[in-house]
Amino acid sequence: MKAYVGFTDEASVVLRAAHAAIAPHFGPIIDDFYATIEAHPGARAAITGGADQIDRLKKSLLRWIDELFRGPHDEAYFERRARIGRVHVQIDLPQVYMFAAMDRIRVRAQDVLRRAEGFDAERATRTATALDQILDIELAIMLETYREDLVAKNRTAERLSTIGQFAAGIGHELRNPLGVVESSAFLVSRRLQQLQVADVSVARHMDKIVSEVQRSNKTITDLLELARSKPLKRRVVDAREFVERAVPAANVPADVKVEITAPPGIPLDADPDQLARVVTNLVINASQAMGGRGHVWIDARREREETVIVVRDDGPGVPSDVRARIFEALFTTKAKGSGLGLALCRRIAEAHGGRVTLDPSDRGAAFRVTIPDAPAGSGDAA
Amino acid sequence: MSAGSKSHRVLVVDDNVGLAENIAEILELEGHAAVVATSAEEALAKLEQAGPDVLVTDYRLPGMSGAALVRRLREAGFVVHAIVISAYTDERTIEDARNAGAAFVAKPVDFEALGRLIDRSEGNA
Repeated sequence: MKAYVGFTDEASVVLRAAHAAIAPHFGPIIDDFYATIEAHPGARAAITGGADQIDRLKKSLLRWIDELFRGPHDEAYFERRARIGRVHVQIDLPQVYMFAAMDRIRVRAQDVLRRAEGFDAERATRTATALDQILDIELAIMLETYREDLVAKNRTAERLSTIGQFAAGIGHELRNPLGVVESSAFLVSRRLQQLQVADVSVARHMDKIVSEVQRSNKTITDLLELARSKPLKRRVVDAREFVERAVPAANVPADVKVEITAPPGIPLDADPDQLARVVTNLVINASQAMGGRGHVWIDARREREETVIVVRDDGPGVPSDVRARIFEALFTTKAKGSGLGLALCRRIAEAHGGRVTLDPSDRGAAFRVTIPDAPAGSGDAA
Repeated sequence: MSAGSKSHRVLVVDDNVGLAENIAEILELEGHAAVVATSAEEALAKLEQAGPDVLVTDYRLPGMSGAALVRRLREAGFVVHAIVISAYTDERTIEDARNAGAAFVAKPVDFEALGRLIDRSEGNA
């Protein structure tokens, strides 16, 4: 890439030589940069952490722009730049803002260079060209991180699609024999009642047959849900009422206290049937992670044009070494888990244009479900 | 069968013979009379003999769908209360069953729900 845009060692030297002249202007350039973001509603939406976050971001941008001129523009430099790109991908920053931001910095920096002391026209042009080249490389690197992300998402989608084709076939094939086992177990129980057989061991085994058949059925249901994409039937519902209706299906043990802290009156624009599975699955996960004893809190709030539902528990939390993988289909840490629950949650949230993420936390686990309002006139709100 | 509800003659159609037999047996425990068929052809052949007022049929049958079987029965002048069961719970399947004038029950079958549907039927649905 360096060779392609003609960014030579000499260009690197030219930028380094300009550092002293431009460094005093970094502060104003950065302030201007964030003032522009704050003035733009779309760009501002990418910043969710308020003034504290802007302070932190300003410090990182200062390091970034300082390194841009200072270099050295070696392999380690470009690897650091790619890492920054991946952060942008993680926070879902639309690429258009990355381009606009880079342009803002380019224009302001060139403006400074033109007026800098000791820069004749020739030197100013040479420095501006080097700056153009390095910024184009920066953009190329950042675009590459977006591509990496797309490739990874495609891989997951392909994996889900393969699972889906298997699921549709095998799931239905297994449903029938399971139906026979289940109905036979039911008939045996009835027969035992008729014969007035009250044997503890027989009853225990009957219970095991029934509960294991139910578990198998649930795995098949999850697989089939994962395999097919049902069209959304979106409508605006009250988030608290929605949560209240979704929780009972989780069937948590009595020692798990589920507290709904969401205030009434928060609108949620979603397919309530499909999204209910997300809440139910998260509550089941929380209950299981806490070993069937503990506290679950479910909160809901509005953040701009999105509704956020947070399911938090006071269990052991998600170990850091598995955090990156928990949303992958067939990945599980449970002895009896199918590894489909969270993959299904993510799939349903993404169908809404939203996401499910795990909040970083030291204690317990907090899963955040973000559902943006359906775009006006998208037609699926009817 | 709940108190006060009447006994029905039920034709149970499922190509999984084990499941068809079990559904029939459960219905018999509830006080109904049940006849089993494992294909739509067999069901049509047994119609006269069975004289059902309730039809419980799987949706996916070899050769003909459960919904098509319901339509054939109606065309032939049989007045039956029809219930289609299926592991396929996509909208097309459910719509097709309902358009044929049948109730829909998802597999795995909730036998109590099925029993209630049969209890409610008066053979003229």
